[in-house]
Amino acid sequence: MDCPENLFYTKDHEWVTGESGTVTVGVTAYAIEQLGDIVHVDLPDVGEEFHEGDSFGTIESTKTVSDLYMPGEAKVIEVNKLVANNPEEIQESPYDKGWLIKIQLSEPAKNLINSANYESYIQED
Amino acid sequence: MKKTALYEQHSLLKAKLIDFSGWKMPISYDGVLAEHHHVREKVGIFDVSHMGEFWIRGRDAQTYLQYLTINDVNKLDVGQGQYTAICNENGGMIDDLILYKTGEEEFFACVNAANITKDFEWFKQGASRFERVDLENASEGWSQIAVQGPNSEAAVLSLVNAQDQERIAGLPYTHIADISFGGSVCKLARTGYTGEKGYEIYLPNSAAASCWQALLATEPQTQIKPIGLGARDTLRLESCYLLYGNDMDESVSPLEAGISWATKLGGEDFCGKSAIASQKTAGVSRKIAAFLFEDQGVPRKGMQILKDGEDIGVVTSGSVFPSVGGSGGLALIASNKAVVGDLVQVNVRGKHKNAKLVKKPFYKAKTKD
Repeated sequence: MDCPENLFYTKDHEWVTGESGTVTVGVTAYAIEQLGDIVHVDLPDVGEEFHEGDSFGTIESTKTVSDLYMPGEAKVIEVNKLVANNPEEIQESPYDKGWLIKIQLSEPAKNLINSANYESYIQED
Repeated sequence: MKKTALYEQHSLLKAKLIDFSGWKMPISYDGVLAEHHHVREKVGIFDVSHMGEFWIRGRDAQTYLQYLTINDVNKLDVGQGQYTAICNENGGMIDDLILYKTGEEEFFACVNAANITKDFEWFKQGASRFERVDLENASEGWSQIAVQGPNSEAAVLSLVNAQDQERIAGLPYTHIADISFGGSVCKLARTGYTGEKGYEIYLPNSAAASCWQALLATEPQTQIKPIGLGARDTLRLESCYLLYGNDMDESVSPLEAGISWATKLGGEDFCGKSAIASQKTAGVSRKIAAFLFEDQGVPRKGMQILKDGEDIGVVTSGSVFPSVGGSGGLALIASNKAVVGDLVQVNVRGKHKNAKLVKKPFYKAKTKD
């Protein structure tokens, strides 16, 4: 499964571009594979603030709805309008065009894991 | 967990499997959306062997079924089938089913997988009033393969020997015929659950895998593909075919479910008739209505329906609509609160999304093409 080495991961299957500062958040290819065809995504508004582990939105496949979890203490600074209207982009390009939100972390995220650890985590899943 | 006779085939095809009322069934092979479009445009095959098959035989079989089921069995010619239901004394639906007349004193019923045991008990109980009725629950030994889509006729004709080609090619909608395949007598019905032209093949478990492979072998001509239960659900919902356990259960009457066209209220007595007739006189308090989302999002079973802030019902089935576009579903709503054309709201995890009540179906069936 594709887990780029330059990214950090949550155990809820979000990817994050860094552990502090302004970072981009998306959903991993593994999670997309499990969900199946993505038909809708519900994202927060710019300016909304969340605690680590809060649900910041939902992602829906033809069959199920899953929560999206905030990787740290953060404020939303940008939302990917492309995926809001074309949710299939998340499936086609989960690490690139299919990013979800950009956030400003107010403190370094403490619970992210690296690519190798995420890969072994999903093998046990 | 039970497995169908086609389980090995699904593994070979790397299907995603789910638990469906106690059965390990394929939810998808290629992705629900691609499979959905493939059935509308080409043809697909579905393993629906989890569904139940009953035989009803004997001198009193027809009189008995006329009493047990809500549709008019006397209208059936040999070789013809009809959509019908069995109801309790209160007029609540125990199940919906397809009933075929396969001989002068022989009928064949296809019932929902989750209801096989309950239905067969009900069939037996009803038969106690009749002397010459033999019932057989053949579900364990029989498989079912649905072949659905514009190219379905070409696919099923490949199974049939030369002298039967014409007979099968001319099979009208809802009719059923015997075909011989791999040394077994199978039943081929011109029915389905997708809104496309299609067939359902009932066959002994021993013939299931070779029939499945023979159908897939028509791929160069028909572009046939295996289709999972995920697309079966989106296809049936676009066509507004009801799903037992979602859109109706034992508390919902055929009138509330919107299948009065299959209910012989003007005809002979049947179990549940007096309750359903009273309901018709008084007017139904609830009805299954179709709605299309005007906002983004996907409605799901169990979500509340509101109109002007008032709770008027609940979503019974919801999905995206790959062929129609957008999303929507069916809802059981208070009949005096909203009509076709009205704007309602669906409570999607606390957000009220606008939806419009529309005429059924979302997708016009091509079953008779």
